[in-house]
Amino acid sequence: MRHGRWRFLLGALVPALVLHVVFVLSPYAQAFYLSLTDWTGVAGEAHYVGAGNYARLGGDSLFLDAVRNNAVMLVVVPFVTIAIGLGLASLLRKGRGAGGYQIVYFFPQLLSLVVIGVLWGFVYNPNTGLLNSGLRAVGLGSLAQSWLAEPVFALAAVMAVLVWSSVGFYVVLFRAAIDGIPPELYEAALLDGAGAWTTFRRITVPLVRETVQVAFVYLGIAALDGFAVVQVMTVGPGGPDGATEVIGLSLYRNAFTYGKFGYASAMGVALFFATLTLAVLALRAGRRERLELA
Amino acid sequence: MTVLREKPVLTAAPAEVGVRKNRINPLPQVAMLCWAVVTALPLLWAVVSSVKSDDEILNSPWSLPASPHFDNWARAWTSANIGRYFLNSLIVVGGALLLTMFLGALVAYALARYDFRGNRLIYYTFVAAMFFPVFLALVPLFFVVQRLGLLGTYPGLILVYAAYAVPFTVFFLHAFFRTLPSEIAEAAFLDGCSHGAVFFRVMLPLARPGLTAVGIFNFLGLWNQYLLPLVLNPDPDRYVLAQGLAALSVSQGYRSDWGGLFAGLTIAMLPVLVAYVAFQRHIRAGMTAGAVK
Amino acid sequence: MNLEPQLRPYPTRRTVLKTAATAALAVPLLSACVTSGTKDSGGGTEQGEKTTDNPLGVKTDAPLEVVVFKGGYGDDYAIKAETQYTQHYPKAKVDHKGLQKVGEAMQPRFVAGNPPDVVDNTGAGRLDIATLVSAGQAGDLTDLLDAPAFDVPGKKVRETLLPGVVDDGTFGGSTVALNFTYTVWGVWFSKPFFEAKGWTYPKTWAEMLALCETIKKAGVAPWTYQGKYPEYINDPLLSMAAKVGGKDLIKAVDNLEPGAWKQDGLVQAATAFAELAGKNYLMSGSEALSHTEAQAAWCQKKAAFIPCGSWLESEQKGVAPAGFDMVMGAVPALTASDKQPVAAVQAASSESFLVPSKAKNQAGGKEYLRMLFSKASATEFAKANSTLPAVAGATDGLTLSSGLGSVRDAVVAAGDNTFTYRFRTWYAPLAKAVDDATGELVNKRISPADWSTRIQKAADALAKDATVTKYTR
Repeated sequence: MRHGRWRFLLGALVPALVLHVVFVLSPYAQAFYLSLTDWTGVAGEAHYVGAGNYARLGGDSLFLDAVRNNAVMLVVVPFVTIAIGLGLASLLRKGRGAGGYQIVYFFPQLLSLVVIGVLWGFVYNPNTGLLNSGLRAVGLGSLAQSWLAEPVFALAAVMAVLVWSSVGFYVVLFRAAIDGIPPELYEAALLDGAGAWTTFRRITVPLVRETVQVAFVYLGIAALDGFAVVQVMTVGPGGPDGATEVIGLSLYRNAFTYGKFGYASAMGVALFFATLTLAVLALRAGRRERLELA
Repeated sequence: MTVLREKPVLTAAPAEVGVRKNRINPLPQVAMLCWAVVTALPLLWAVVSSVKSDDEILNSPWSLPASPHFDNWARAWTSANIGRYFLNSLIVVGGALLLTMFLGALVAYALARYDFRGNRLIYYTFVAAMFFPVFLALVPLFFVVQRLGLLGTYPGLILVYAAYAVPFTVFFLHAFFRTLPSEIAEAAFLDGCSHGAVFFRVMLPLARPGLTAVGIFNFLGLWNQYLLPLVLNPDPDRYVLAQGLAALSVSQGYRSDWGGLFAGLTIAMLPVLVAYVAFQRHIRAGMTAGAVK
Repeated sequence: MNLEPQLRPYPTRRTVLKTAATAALAVPLLSACVTSGTKDSGGGTEQGEKTTDNPLGVKTDAPLEVVVFKGGYGDDYAIKAETQYTQHYPKAKVDHKGLQKVGEAMQPRFVAGNPPDVVDNTGAGRLDIATLVSAGQAGDLTDLLDAPAFDVPGKKVRETLLPGVVDDGTFGGSTVALNFTYTVWGVWFSKPFFEAKGWTYPKTWAEMLALCETIKKAGVAPWTYQGKYPEYINDPLLSMAAKVGGKDLIKAVDNLEPGAWKQDGLVQAATAFAELAGKNYLMSGSEALSHTEAQAAWCQKKAAFIPCGSWLESEQKGVAPAGFDMVMGAVPALTASDKQPVAAVQAASSESFLVPSKAKNQAGGKEYLRMLFSKASATEFAKANSTLPAVAGATDGLTLSSGLGSVRDAVVAAGDNTFTYRFRTWYAPLAKAVDDATGELVNKRISPADWSTRIQKAADALAKDATVTKYTR
């Protein structure tokens, strides 16, 4: 039987490991090396340039735009999504037709970000789009904007789409977490005369905190991306004039339009460290809170 | 909600009386309805626009079509190649899903139920990849696939899709296999079943709820994948749906065709929405099991 | 479906989704070519005797293999030229392949050193020509250019081509590709619409501004543009600058000379377009419209003018209402002292044919191109595809659609005064900087001076960047 055990384990693990090493781990590892070269895709012509690509990142104004935009998205998108998601989830706890609402809220989560980007591109169309013609129809025509072409609105418009597309998922997630809270707690609060807001703040929020933290990490990772929506929907794309540029788009353009694979890899490494920092910070924040609670 | 809204004095007065008497706060219902409208309206709009003429789409975005133009759908399906993209997506996602589930379940089971040196290392090797940005791997991945001669081929896409979906599958199913009772497996071993037979005949059927949930997640993730095909699948004949729609919206090919594009969007949306409504209980159960734990 | 990539000679942002993949494909594919690309020419083994009737010395019984991109134009036109070839050399066997993915299929053949005799290197998935050249894989076509034209007595092939075509195929001093189609850029309008309103297409920018005022009073937006892709509004701006400053201005820009973007012509042209925007002559909302949306609005007569290349007419088939009869005009002259006449147009060729240096039957390949680029063959092509071929006079005597007719007239009127900027193909990052700056300019967010300063800065940075391969003209 021991013999069969090892044979089974090898058979179970080796194919997946090979796939994992070839297509996942080795590319990740190569990216670090490539980021130190000036490789343009021509075999045998990669020269080691040390930190040259990284130094160059600091002088690339478009890349800096991208970093700024991703930073804004990193703050706004998770915060707004979680606020709306948590709010709706606690309303659904007692609201009528909760199941139906939940199904509808989840719809955007099912769609490819490409579909969402194309669709919202039409919604934002300044002359024939759903949004502006809706505003005009209700007499708010003065609020109509060229949403994607005004630098002040373009990034907000992109973030709105990202929030729109992810709220549903977090409603369902938070709802599940709230359902896990013992109903006695709510009943006790009710007996203590706590209002809805107090109950929400004192019971719901603290008890779903861990789920919220998970949500922050997921949403943070999504906010550091944004590539598909920006590439499909925005002016330029990434415009106007870098107003919606994101790191992923810069990386993609440098690699696959300009052929600067080494430089693009340096962007990838920078993005990796941003993601890593985010995850570590979120986890450490979590640990500290747990310590405080203990 | 309404119950919580009021602040009854700490008398023993039954709450229901208070509810009936006090004004029901309409705000929660309004808020929920508002978000439902915000969510559903653009989607409905796309569906309605998919049967409008170009002229109606451009000049009266809020109106209903004078007469439904179902020919938009036919055109999108054939001349805008949505049919072909749909088929490509089915082939690639179908193949990748089978491969992912098979490999992922095997790995998760082996790691969850067998103790051996390096077990944790292998587990973390897989799971860590979940948190790396795909962008980091993108450039080298392109060259790996190209050197293997798999660029723009179905097998190439299927292998890469599966490679990037396995970590989540392992993570999810690992926890699931751990919770399964070991008595049945032990009984099967005593009956002389091999390790493989125990896995396929006993454990897999037991894990069906978990497999269903992770299968649905993987399907959604793979079906909506855009970045990987964009880079690894440059051949327009093998475009998957998301890629084809993106290309269509940028170039709209030879001539502009808004009705066709909206029809394409609708064709891309409807199957997933219908599948979701049919399976939504499983999805929610899966999310509860996977994320809240 | 995808006519666009062939029509647009240089990669544009709106084709980026498709061509990005192309670039991705082209660069690495050729890495193999480069490493194996020894400069010795292993090809041309099939060689016959040169005679007046056979100026390139075709070996009459050598087989010929032709690979053609089968895209928006189909491949009938290439097959017709093959028929011509077999009529001439009945003993030769012609092998024809019409492909969509030229690069994918041809790359291994180039690496293995047995490429076909003629390759139409076009479409998404084509091989990068500059890399082919540096790998020594593209054969020199000088003897073809100097051979007598197939059906124009007394002229060399070189003399039958439209201006710029030879240059477009020249890399590092040798002509290695011949482009079969010809694209011209200008400003478009509906002729019947203008006639009904009593408007005449302006020759000078002052007239243009005056007309815009009239148009605006009539309740029509004077201009719209494909704002989602600011390169479209760049074309008339840069054309105008090229007219003011002449070909020297273009050369300075393309060669990344210091201060090139501060040249008077460029600043003046930027000022002209800033004025167009400042007077609100651009349809509101244009800045966020995609090419299809802006072009559709223009076809609905919501705007009078739109800048575009000569593919516009075929792109708007089915969108333009009956009797819209669009025509293209040359960009108006800015000053009385412009160095190029008002009729000068920006033009470039595409649909790139080459004879690989390792092809066995090089003579046959060139002879085939001589027939393909004959007047009769080009005329057939124009008739079938409503696209201007790169052969002069190919559309003479044909009844053309209004758009194509106006394009032909513009080419005839321009004569030798056609020009093209090469920096877009040579330095994509600079092209992006220019597009972004122009987008800001016509949205009144930066001044013409800022515009030129910004672009100059980007050009200077590029000139200093040792990692970028530089080209000069």
